[in-house]
Amino acid sequence: MNLRINGTEKEIDGGPGALLVYVLRDELGMTGTKIGCAAGICGSCTVLVDGVATRSCITPLTLVEGKEITTIEGLATENADGTLTLHPVQQAFIDAQVPQCGWCMSGQIMTAAAFLQQNPAPSEDDVIEAMGENYCRCGCYHRIKQAVVAAAGTMNGVATMQEVSA
Amino acid sequence: MSDTPISQSPNLEPADGVTPEPELTQQETPAKKRRWRPSRRGFLIGLGVVGGGLALGYVYGVPWVRLRLAGVFEGAEGPPGNFPEDPAAWFEVLPDSRVRLYLMKVEMGQGIHTSLAQVAAEELGVAWEDLDVAQASTGREMGDSLMTSGSSSVTGVFEPLLTAAATFRAMLAGEAAAILGIPPEEVVVIERAFAAKDNPAQQVDFYTVATSKSEWEVPKEAVPVKNWQEYKVIGQPLKRVDIPAKVTGRAVYGMDARLEGMKYGAIVRPPTISATVKSLGPGSAEGMSGVVKVVVEDDFAGVVADSRPEAYAAVAQMSSEWDEGRLWQQAELEAIVTVGNGNGITIQDVGNAARLLQEETSVTTEYRTPFAIHTPLEAQAALADVQPDRVRVWCSTQGQGFVRSEVAKAIGVDEKIVEIIPTYLGGGYGRKAGWEVAIEAARLAKAAGAPVHVGWSRTDDMRHGYFRPMTHHKLYGRVDGEGNLLAIEHRQASGDVAFDFLPPFMSAVMGADFGAYRGATIRYDVPNKRTVAWRCELPLRTGWWRGLGLLPNTFAVESFMDELAVAAGVDPLAFRLRNLSDDGDSGRLKKVLQAAADLGGWGTPAPEGRARGIAGTIDVGTAVAMVAEVSIDQTTGKIRVHKVSAAMDCGLTVNPDGATAQVEGNVMWGVGSALLEEMTVQDGQVVPANFDKYPLLTMKEAPAVEVVLLEAGDGRPRGVGEPPIGPVAPAIANAVYALTGRRLYQLPMNEARVKAAIG
Repeated sequence: MNLRINGTEKEIDGGPGALLVYVLRDELGMTGTKIGCAAGICGSCTVLVDGVATRSCITPLTLVEGKEITTIEGLATENADGTLTLHPVQQAFIDAQVPQCGWCMSGQIMTAAAFLQQNPAPSEDDVIEAMGENYCRCGCYHRIKQAVVAAAGTMNGVATMQEVSA
Repeated sequence: MSDTPISQSPNLEPADGVTPEPELTQQETPAKKRRWRPSRRGFLIGLGVVGGGLALGYVYGVPWVRLRLAGVFEGAEGPPGNFPEDPAAWFEVLPDSRVRLYLMKVEMGQGIHTSLAQVAAEELGVAWEDLDVAQASTGREMGDSLMTSGSSSVTGVFEPLLTAAATFRAMLAGEAAAILGIPPEEVVVIERAFAAKDNPAQQVDFYTVATSKSEWEVPKEAVPVKNWQEYKVIGQPLKRVDIPAKVTGRAVYGMDARLEGMKYGAIVRPPTISATVKSLGPGSAEGMSGVVKVVVEDDFAGVVADSRPEAYAAVAQMSSEWDEGRLWQQAELEAIVTVGNGNGITIQDVGNAARLLQEETSVTTEYRTPFAIHTPLEAQAALADVQPDRVRVWCSTQGQGFVRSEVAKAIGVDEKIVEIIPTYLGGGYGRKAGWEVAIEAARLAKAAGAPVHVGWSRTDDMRHGYFRPMTHHKLYGRVDGEGNLLAIEHRQASGDVAFDFLPPFMSAVMGADFGAYRGATIRYDVPNKRTVAWRCELPLRTGWWRGLGLLPNTFAVESFMDELAVAAGVDPLAFRLRNLSDDGDSGRLKKVLQAAADLGGWGTPAPEGRARGIAGTIDVGTAVAMVAEVSIDQTTGKIRVHKVSAAMDCGLTVNPDGATAQVEGNVMWGVGSALLEEMTVQDGQVVPANFDKYPLLTMKEAPAVEVVLLEAGDGRPRGVGEPPIGPVAPAIANAVYALTGRRLYQLPMNEARVKAAIG
């Protein structure tokens, strides 16, 4: 089977029932996508499938064949000189110094990137609703919220977002 | 370590963040020419020559460790480990004249690699960008007797690291002076070189100096270090060195460790908490898809397969027979953890609390806290490569030294050939202080003749680790009509915390578990106070947890302080302040209580339908207090924590943004434990197998957090990773009382308990 991941065709050994998270992490060695619960609850394994945030731990390959899969490794833009320009969400997570242990962060960032694509001018409640199903055991919620709001401002080109209250 | 990386090389390796440990050959350790010299403060400093350059490190000497152990037995400091022989930090000069700092402390999100780099940079005098941090493997012959735990990383390392950095710089500067032909006091650092102060063009780079000779002497006289008021790097909110790798998916954790030709392993697990094995066999696992090897050894059985799903599928088909043992029920375990069950050990006795409380007691109450599970989102994970003459294990661990000796024992090899390479940790919180997963990977790798990765499933991690123990508390107090606390007694019962990890003689000698009673003693200035701790032996493993006993004990003591304030008819903040002196730690606790109150609007009306509660504590020398603002959904009984306002004095703050982040994270842990988290046992098994039965706090329930940091003004840093977990639950419970007039005596304060309390 062939999968299109981060713009590149990859040949996969796993059968149609194989779960995307293991194919990414173990077969392809793309360990930027994490695994937390293997039950679709925690959100650590979130990737984009045709731009939609998708939990790769409960997603068999049949559901993603022929679709565009984006992982954290493919979120930044590679420049001609080989350097990366970070996605605004990644940059906002650095600016707000969001991650602690970092294990959930690929899933948080992919969820936020998909959400802001669909809702470029969210309210704080919209952000909470969109990010409310991703666990962060270190408890970085306060900063995740700030960073997602800040990233929305960057993506709109102007800082129109109201500051998140303390 | 650039401050704001906008673009990064895709081949990130050392570009940003922590440099992965370069591969070591067996001959290549920096320790070959090690000579040690005692420092003023009881640790040793020594040097080696590596890669043609100079390296210098320090080791905790015996007097230093004795002091630390004394702290441990007072319950004031983190856990002890083995006595040290190897350096806990090590500097090297790289060929490009940058300086690399090797650290034994592991990064689990607490920002320790950044904080310690700041400490080193302060005395090295090099630019922040020219200092590089690397996680040391045990193969570098480095050691750390104190593990990465107990909020001890900055406090334990601070002085020796400053002194080592100052000494390293002085040695290099002295040699540079000789090369440049100028007096040492005229040498300054310019970028990656030493230069003449009056003629900056006259310079020699670090690497040239470091490689200019092969025999170095550690200075006979102690190299002076800066006065803390002069610090320029310490105290700055510098950006974390590990974050760029963590937002690009490039940070490598134990679960991510990969080697060419590696296989995946899974282990047969017992069906109940008291099960003993009767027989283990391959069942129908052999011949299943992808199965490379089925391993059955005495009490250990597992599968090695080409992929992780194949390993999980095959291990489920292995045969096993068990004696399930007693099928424990929750109520039976609660009965075990009860004050008065067994011998109580008095751990605090001031004045004559017993007599005063016998005469008259104003308030008597009981509190309970449940079992809880750490659930780091990265479950236990290790990759082992077992060769006849060399064993390497990549592992998410808080105690690589212990992992090394336990792996060596388990597979019957000399410890000297075992190298543990700590990765980033996807959460630790005390749960990654064990070594089971590393042993499992090593045993399977040895049996299969190939590198094997073992990554626990969520169910393995929820049911087969160790837990935060249940606790039970009885408190007795007496106040006078003016709000003076006359006498107080705290009787506390808990499952083990530290004892499971210590040699058995320790429990016999000590009687009560210092981990379990951390935070139990009364810190208020009461003329008569007493604390008695009961050690209750449970049929399942309980152990290290963020803050150890601090969370349950502070919940009990600080809830009880509110009850006494009510009995005395005094405002809870005023009551606390009245019963603290202005001196020393009491004065610091007083200041953070007042600062948290000011920040949280104490004394002003709360928004409609909300109320506030306050609580504080002193732990590992850090004073911290919080005001929680809550409301309750009258229909569901659900508590909503809107805001937590925190004030913390951790002495000297190395990185204020990092310290703030630790407070924020601890608040979320505290709210989760206060409102949601509870592990129960039924029919001999741990009930939750995944997050459906053990939900964590999400952003939907997360409060806003505001933090103010105070300084003790003595230039000495204290721990920040754990103390702020203490006041959260009691601040919430006290706010619930303020709102409803009803008190909750048991964690978690979930909907059912709230409804039962408020009717």
